[in-house]
Amino acid sequence: MRIVCPFCGERELGEFTYLGDAKPARPAAGATENEVFDYVYLRDNVAGPMSEFWYHGGGCRAWLKIARNTLTHEISSVEPAAGVGARQVGA
Amino acid sequence: MAEFSWIARSPLEHALVVGACGARGTAAGVSLTEIRNFDLIQVMARRGKAAELAKAAETRFGVAAPGTPKAVRVADATLIWSGPDQFLVLCNGGKHAIEPLSQAFAQSGSLSDQSDARALISVSGEKARAILAKLSSLDLHPAAFPAGTAAATSVDHTSVNLWRGNDRPDGQAVFNLLVFATFAESLWHTMLDAAAEYGVDIRHSEELG
Repeated sequence: MRIVCPFCGERELGEFTYLGDAKPARPAAGATENEVFDYVYLRDNVAGPMSEFWYHGGGCRAWLKIARNTLTHEISSVEPAAGVGARQVGA
Repeated sequence: MAEFSWIARSPLEHALVVGACGARGTAAGVSLTEIRNFDLIQVMARRGKAAELAKAAETRFGVAAPGTPKAVRVADATLIWSGPDQFLVLCNGGKHAIEPLSQAFAQSGSLSDQSDARALISVSGEKARAILAKLSSLDLHPAAFPAGTAAATSVDHTSVNLWRGNDRPDGQAVFNLLVFATFAESLWHTMLDAAAEYGVDIRHSEELG
């Protein structure tokens, strides 16, 4: 499997580390215990297209948001994840 | 209080033995040169200040800092792309040391002095690309990796900044590798093993190519 880093170009899988599902969103401060439990522990076991976070630690050290089909390993989009986090913290 | 002073030493001081190594009988296919006593500053844009940093870099160096994986030569330094909104400034003689650069980028960037934190290894010769092909997954063919191309990548599971400098006077390509000081000896041995079959000419120098 190869990933086309938006900054570095096409690189081998060994340069990347997998974080996991990019879908779960941090619940608001007043969220219920169930919502927090869901966010921290519960993950879908997706068979098909999935949105994931990957880290290009062996290269430019950027976090990436990748759409990957878990059945075929086909990657349909790669984008920098930094903007996502920055928007979340309001920077 | 005990008086002491720091003595700067190369991380390859013990591993590097000047002279010939590996196959003999024909001209060495690979030339490995460690560059010593350089100044290296990491410059990173603060959040939301990338455009300001680019402007400050242009004011300081007279050219745009690389925004894509390139190494840009200016009169007294090389600017090496190291990731989004960040680059390394390589020079010698303290021309762009941490103090003057801190002032130049005071409003837009965060700086870190990496001068003694990295080792710089220069690889050239007829078989330079052949040994790097054993160690790196990048396509280093001149069509894909012309002079001035840079990459942040992994070589032998070790993070390196790799870039192709200006060719040698004899037309041979020169590849430069910046590696963390503590990983330098390990990488050096790996490179020597990879190059042994071609014959290696080992040197060290204080001249930036």
